Amino acid sequence: MAGLKQMSTLVQSVLRTTGNSCNKCGQRHASNLYRREKRKKEKEDSVFQHLGKNYQRTDRVYVWGNATTGALGIRQLHRPEKNRSTVNTVSRPRRLSFLDKYDIKLSDVGTGYGYTVLCGKSPNGPLLMGCGVNLDSQLGYQEYPKNTGRLLDVIIEPVPIELPLIEPSTTRMTQVACGRLHTIVLTDKEGVYTLGNNSYGQCGRPTVEGEVYRGNQIVHKLVTPDSNIKQVVCGLDHTMLLTEGGQVYSFGLNADGQLGSGTYQSEFTPTMVKGDIEGEKIVHIACKADCILAVSAKGDIFGWGNSEYNQLSSVTDKTQVNIPRHLPFKHVGRVQRVCATGSMCGLINESGKVFVWGFGILGKGPKLQQTGTPTEIPMTLFGNNEFNEDVHVKDLQCSLNHFAAITNKGDLYMWGRNIAGALGFGHKQDQFFPMKVAVPCEVSSVHCGVDHTIAVGKAFA
Amino acid sequence: MKNLEVTLAILKPDVLSHPIIAQCIKNTILRNNFFIVRSQTVILTKQKVEEFYRDHKGKFFHNRLVTFMQSGPVSAHVLARQDAISHWRKIMGPTKVFRTIFKEPNSIRGQYGLTDTRNCAHGSDSPISAAKEIQIFFPDFSIDEWYRSKGHLFTRDNVVFDEQSQAHVLLKDINSSRVQYITNPITNIGNVKGFSFNKEDS
Repeated sequence: MAGLKQMSTLVQSVLRTTGNSCNKCGQRHASNLYRREKRKKEKEDSVFQHLGKNYQRTDRVYVWGNATTGALGIRQLHRPEKNRSTVNTVSRPRRLSFLDKYDIKLSDVGTGYGYTVLCGKSPNGPLLMGCGVNLDSQLGYQEYPKNTGRLLDVIIEPVPIELPLIEPSTTRMTQVACGRLHTIVLTDKEGVYTLGNNSYGQCGRPTVEGEVYRGNQIVHKLVTPDSNIKQVVCGLDHTMLLTEGGQVYSFGLNADGQLGSGTYQSEFTPTMVKGDIEGEKIVHIACKADCILAVSAKGDIFGWGNSEYNQLSSVTDKTQVNIPRHLPFKHVGRVQRVCATGSMCGLINESGKVFVWGFGILGKGPKLQQTGTPTEIPMTLFGNNEFNEDVHVKDLQCSLNHFAAITNKGDLYMWGRNIAGALGFGHKQDQFFPMKVAVPCEVSSVHCGVDHTIAVGKAFA
Repeated sequence: MKNLEVTLAILKPDVLSHPIIAQCIKNTILRNNFFIVRSQTVILTKQKVEEFYRDHKGKFFHNRLVTFMQSGPVSAHVLARQDAISHWRKIMGPTKVFRTIFKEPNSIRGQYGLTDTRNCAHGSDSPISAAKEIQIFFPDFSIDEWYRSKGHLFTRDNVVFDEQSQAHVLLKDINSSRVQYITNPITNIGNVKGFSFNKEDS
């Protein structure tokens, strides 16, 4: 208002000096000039969004971490342009332009120990791609040039992985999970396929002593006891399947009791996990190393596997728990999601608060902590304050030694051990409390490998 | 000058499944002035692993250690240096990786270790166990004979690193036809492309 008043006085002073009068009545009007000036100012102040009616926000994929393995999928890091040098670590988010170039839409990403598997849709049909270390054929049989037997041990740009599908043009790959040396692919119509190292039976086929996995052409189609698989999860050397009905099947390494079968013998056939989760409807399972956590539809939390760092010490003193146990954490409320690193565990409860326990950088201050009961990370650290009271955490992911949390605003927060710049802060120092990563998109999902991270999101506008 | 000591170093399957880290650890060995006397890459049988870890029998991690060691190829190296046993254990770092990554982040296990079992490397803890363990991997290698015939000749000026056998060889033993395969150890360290998670190096 003050501006308008000022302008009207300006207009009057202009009129007084020029002395223009109306052609019809001979009197002097301020309206025309006043309106013109007002319109001009409005035009200057307004912000235009030049978006079409059918505009959709584009998908963005950002990668960062250790680049020497090729797991980031950016060719220029290894084969630089003229006058540029090779890059060993990318410590800030960098856009994966490969997907934009070939117009590929991602449906899921799997990150393993130095390799990445991407599944999605290209204009030519469904596509499964991988890049990174391929010493155990976890990315399938890759040779170049064709039919020469020259194996590719390190792949620096995503290459297609061929699965022996019956209908390759219509079967979509919906989920992919990566362990230390093996890959599990879930398709919508044709079940589960496994690739890579099978030394513990983690690929779901009998272990052959002395099998050479480099240059191995075997892609195994898993015989699952239940055809409705909802989620596939890989530990370092074992695999878990979660069905729509809420049952958990496991196979692979069992030296710490990861399979929850009551024994310590490795298995290659998917066997149903029993113990305390029998009869419960499990909706979400998580594991990255050797400790496994599961959430039931009632919001209860169950755990089994390795417990050397107080992960399961609330119910047992044993360091190896081979049968699922119910973890009685009353103070956290109903649990939505969980995650389990090698030595730490985390959960999100129904109100979107994060609780952590175990040993390591828990995210609660500049000291290493060891605790057996979940303690809350203050929500202020995730950007919840008196101006943004509706901020809560909607997804919690982890790797072996660090955590990543996504808030409902699409912000990515990371903390933990900063191996090869995998936290994306631009440096390699450890981060002792949650800190926002400068990802230039609204993050919808994040995938943590051992030393690299991939964030998938939507462009801001 | 003090006599050379001999130890056995084993790179475990988690290292050999990752070519970049394997190269980095080999560089670390060379950079720390170890002589690699013998090298061998094998896939161990269950019997051999149980023989190797018979001291750990009865401990809770025995089963997972044995299953892990037979899960893939391992590479065994006979290393020679002054105070080789203690120095190799020092640059390797403590066993428990989840604590080592904070206590000694620049050791081999602190940089590249995954979990407490998948902890990159093994080193003998005493001269007696070193002799025993070398016997398991290299039955034809006699430590006493090596000391008598070659040990006193192993100095920086007398040996070169042979890429083909992955070991140091005496200059006087080199067959002239094989000279093309052999590189100078000093330049070799600089040339090999390696990568370190080390905070100071990067």
